[in-house]
Amino acid sequence: MTEVAETPPVTLSAATARPRASIGQGSQFVGLYARELLRTFRNPWVLVITIVQPFMWLAFFGSSFAGVPLSALDVLLHTHISSYIQFLLPGVLATSMLSVGMFGAMSTIQDKRFGFMKRILLTPTSKATVFLSKALGSATRGLVQIPIMIAAALIFGVRFAGDPLMWAGWILGLVFLGFGFSCLFLAVTASSVDWQTPGVISNFITMPLMFASGALFPSANFPVWMQDISAVNPVSYAALLGRGVVVSGTADWLYLGYLALFAAIMLLAGTLVASRYLKVE
Amino acid sequence: MAGPVAVDRVGTASEVANMNGTAIRARGLTKRYGAITAVDQVDLDVRAASIFGLLGPNGAGKTTIIKLLTGLGDASAGEAEVAGYDVRRDPMRVKERIGWVAAEVILDDDFTAWENLWLQAQLQRLKGWGTRAEELLRYFGLSDRRDDKVQTYSTGMRKKLEIALALLHQPEVIFMDEPTIGLDASTRRMLWELIQGVNREFGITVLLTTHYIEEADALCDHIAIIDHGRIVAHGTPTELKARVGADFIEIATAEPVTAATFSAVPGVLEVRSQGASWILRVRSSEEVLPRLLGLLRTDGIRRLNVEKPSLETVFLDLTGQRLDTAGENIDYRKFYATMRRARG
Repeated sequence: MTEVAETPPVTLSAATARPRASIGQGSQFVGLYARELLRTFRNPWVLVITIVQPFMWLAFFGSSFAGVPLSALDVLLHTHISSYIQFLLPGVLATSMLSVGMFGAMSTIQDKRFGFMKRILLTPTSKATVFLSKALGSATRGLVQIPIMIAAALIFGVRFAGDPLMWAGWILGLVFLGFGFSCLFLAVTASSVDWQTPGVISNFITMPLMFASGALFPSANFPVWMQDISAVNPVSYAALLGRGVVVSGTADWLYLGYLALFAAIMLLAGTLVASRYLKVE
Repeated sequence: MAGPVAVDRVGTASEVANMNGTAIRARGLTKRYGAITAVDQVDLDVRAASIFGLLGPNGAGKTTIIKLLTGLGDASAGEAEVAGYDVRRDPMRVKERIGWVAAEVILDDDFTAWENLWLQAQLQRLKGWGTRAEELLRYFGLSDRRDDKVQTYSTGMRKKLEIALALLHQPEVIFMDEPTIGLDASTRRMLWELIQGVNREFGITVLLTTHYIEEADALCDHIAIIDHGRIVAHGTPTELKARVGADFIEIATAEPVTAATFSAVPGVLEVRSQGASWILRVRSSEEVLPRLLGLLRTDGIRRLNVEKPSLETVFLDLTGQRLDTAGENIDYRKFYATMRRARG
């Protein structure tokens, strides 16, 4: 009969090589980015909402013109389309990238409040790395909606134009947009520890950016002041790029360039702001 | 044989620091928030491989000192060196060499223990950390739970895992902020043993903050007593107790005795009356008590109480307050203020 001691006398031998920092800064980013994704997609509710939300948009908003003859829609939308959903889809995807940033900002504030930010920043991890992992994490979360939404539109019987290269360019544009807004939200909330801040900011900027863009309706019908906003609104670029692809099979690559520029500026500005002002708790 | 104490060290400035025997050194460390000075001219010299305690009431500035020493906060004035590096000039090198255990357990609850360790290894940029992580889990008795989510762990297990995370990169110094706050008595004792074990076996310097006197007394080789952001006394627990330099004897007799009777006894330093009793400050109760009993009719003693010096009497002596009530006074004031406002 042998009795096993409750705590076996384990010693950490000197023979164990000191696992001293030898891999590059990249590992910190990989760790934090993986954490963002795991936290998101292990939560079944996040998955359900991610899938259901695009369906709701298409089902409810997309059906609101179901009774209008296509010829009348052509006049209203200044485009020849096969269904309003075909027109709407690029706009809804562009708009949904707006909410992506809000979730990134909320998860950052959660980390501050639960002390996790302290745990991270008491390792040799820079604030810029934390910022980048959060921004890319939330942009990635937004990306998941894209294939789901396109599949949903196909289920609703929509036919799309465009070749794979154009589609890739459009999706890249959406990534730029989502990433840019994530950076913007994270920068604006860098010094905040209040749960409510991201929601308030989101309410404040989502409405004008959504409606003063070509996302839901063509800007040709807008008054001049709204056209001016729409002309500098990155949501418009993503919507117009996508609409060209799926409706008429043409891609205006200048829009992609604008979106890349938007993402780059937001990344630069956000990194600067976060490295300076990111609050620990 | 070197034994398990030896932790191989990379030849760095930190090695020099350890040879000199100082793991943490601070001079004139000060932190001001507007008009409030949270940390005021703090000097620290923490010997390598020792357990150092910052003892003081809530709000005394202990946590702020940890923030300044770990580079989480910027000092308004003064300088600090931890594990051989200047905290302000080389914060990343310091962070590679320190571990941190929070007062509240901070872990990813929906991750497993192993995933938490993985993340910590990524943040510390460790290669080949698996063996060490497994050793640590075995040391803390968590091996069979490594793939369970942390949310299924008991408080004691979480605390252990958090210490394992702090030890993963073989730090030279571990900071523990109120490590046993809110824990039940048995978990607290378990944790004390772990902290001493970690210090003894791995030769790691531990700096902990606490407002529990018995914790500081049981664990620490050296204590600094903090009050209002300043170090009011420091030394080994024995040295601190010796500072008071006296025992207290409280005595009440059946028959009236005058102060002069007590003053005449050799070794009695001071005589005070308190109600029906006398309080004698004496050099040593062992020396004075037999003389005292010889002087009095022993069947006439109604009450006899001997108080040896403790950290409690030290704190009382230095600040005029008992440690366990010093922090709470503030809360009571707030509480009554709120009550007054509520009543209108």
